[in-house]
Amino acid sequence: MTRPFNGMRFSGALALGAVLLFLLGPFVVIALAGLSAGDTLAFPPQGLSLRWVIAVFGMDNFRASFWLSLQLAIGSTALALLLGVPAAYGLARYRVPGRELVRTLLIAPLIVPGIIVGLALLRHAVIPLDLGVTWALILAHTVLVVPYAVRVVTASLDNLRTDVEEAAVMLGATRLQTFFRIVLPNIRSGIIAAFILGFVTSFNQVPVSLFLTGPGITTLPIDMLTSMEFVYDPSIAALSALMALLSIAIVAVAERALGLSRYV
Amino acid sequence: MFDNRRIGIALAAPAALFVALAFIVPVAVLLSGGFATPQGWGLSRWAEFVGDPLSVEVFWRTVKLGALVTLACAVLGYATALAIVDAGPTWKGRWSGLVMLPLMISPVARTYAWIVLLGRTGLVNQAITGLGLSAEPLRLLFTETAVFIGLVQLFLPLMVLSLVSALENLPADVVPAARVLGAPWPTVFFKVLLPLSREGLVIGGTLVFTGSVTAYITPAVLGGSKVLMLETLLYQRVSVANDFASASVIALILIVMSVVTHALLRRASAARRR
Repeated sequence: MTRPFNGMRFSGALALGAVLLFLLGPFVVIALAGLSAGDTLAFPPQGLSLRWVIAVFGMDNFRASFWLSLQLAIGSTALALLLGVPAAYGLARYRVPGRELVRTLLIAPLIVPGIIVGLALLRHAVIPLDLGVTWALILAHTVLVVPYAVRVVTASLDNLRTDVEEAAVMLGATRLQTFFRIVLPNIRSGIIAAFILGFVTSFNQVPVSLFLTGPGITTLPIDMLTSMEFVYDPSIAALSALMALLSIAIVAVAERALGLSRYV
Repeated sequence: MFDNRRIGIALAAPAALFVALAFIVPVAVLLSGGFATPQGWGLSRWAEFVGDPLSVEVFWRTVKLGALVTLACAVLGYATALAIVDAGPTWKGRWSGLVMLPLMISPVARTYAWIVLLGRTGLVNQAITGLGLSAEPLRLLFTETAVFIGLVQLFLPLMVLSLVSALENLPADVVPAARVLGAPWPTVFFKVLLPLSREGLVIGGTLVFTGSVTAYITPAVLGGSKVLMLETLLYQRVSVANDFASASVIALILIVMSVVTHALLRRASAARRR
């Protein structure tokens, strides 16, 4: 419906403006605070410079945790897709007994708060099996990303007509050939969307990793969270602004290329 | 061609086994710890939780904040969603995109901004002392208000987007019809718009409520140890007191809250499809 509420236009615009200021204003504040030339965190900033943005790249702890977060996000999302794509395909096409139950099982990690997943893995998998910090984090983040992989890929499989596959098989292609040459190219944008969603989820993740990081080995968001207690210079603000920019850039590119919002 | 069950099972099995072993089993064992006592099984851990004033206080604060945040998001969400739907097709997409933007950004970065704004020398206190509302800067951080504001900012986009998708599907003529028949705006809202967009409100409300109740970063950063919520209490019990039994009790409470509200959500969206 187009413009059904004529007459409340002015108050509506006012409300929209106020809410957008409330939602987005803090990012402007954090970006400006990160661009400060001064030594302490403050808004309005004491002069503008790129001093702290540059300084952040030279800080060893943030550099190490950034790399871990990056590897973790790529590794766990790739693993989740390796598990999730075949599962989504099997459940979407074949008559698997208890299909709805299996789907619910694969989505379940989304419903349980992350901190509980992390604690449960620490107590009943990582400690008994004596896993290292990196493996523990990969395990936990893969559990977390599998639901996104299954959900997004299922959505794009539902949009793909099955008669193309049936035609391929009838013309003599094997099932494997059909999957790799017919299905996979057709759900490519779904897989990329799932990858981006999984990547952003893992990269920004805090609760799941909380109990699993070790001394000296930590992820970027947790590193920032713990640094907040003793760092009073603008470095964390600069880092927050950089992370926000990175996420926005990834999502904007994805939206342009694939229409990511269809899957969220 | 898709009748071969064994292929389907083989495709789904690795993921299902992985989630069962790496998620269901550890979580189930963890939750069972809430019912373990030195003498076997029992409810003594639960009695401890109910008998501990701090735990009970934190429980009610979590429920209260969850409810207040949901209410605030509903009020702000309707005002915003109505304006967005009213903006016409082109601008509807743009405004929705701007509302969606914060969802993609790290919650740590989103929460940190409030430290800058609400701190002793932050912008809000500068305004308060500058306007002469108070001689001394107020303590705004580590209060329930700070946690409330942080949570509303974090979860409002989910409510707005749910309401937009409910409102944009309304027939174009319901509001003009009600107006022509003489209904004033409040009547139009409560008798026409609210009932017709109820599912969107339920879906948005569920997402906001479960999100707020199970939030960690916001209460940790803006509430600290003064304003504990269930997740920060759980973290404290484990990392400070090594008390895994009461962590299991809190974990089960959180899961029940989350699963029950998600079940309600499913029911609501199933009703919509019917």
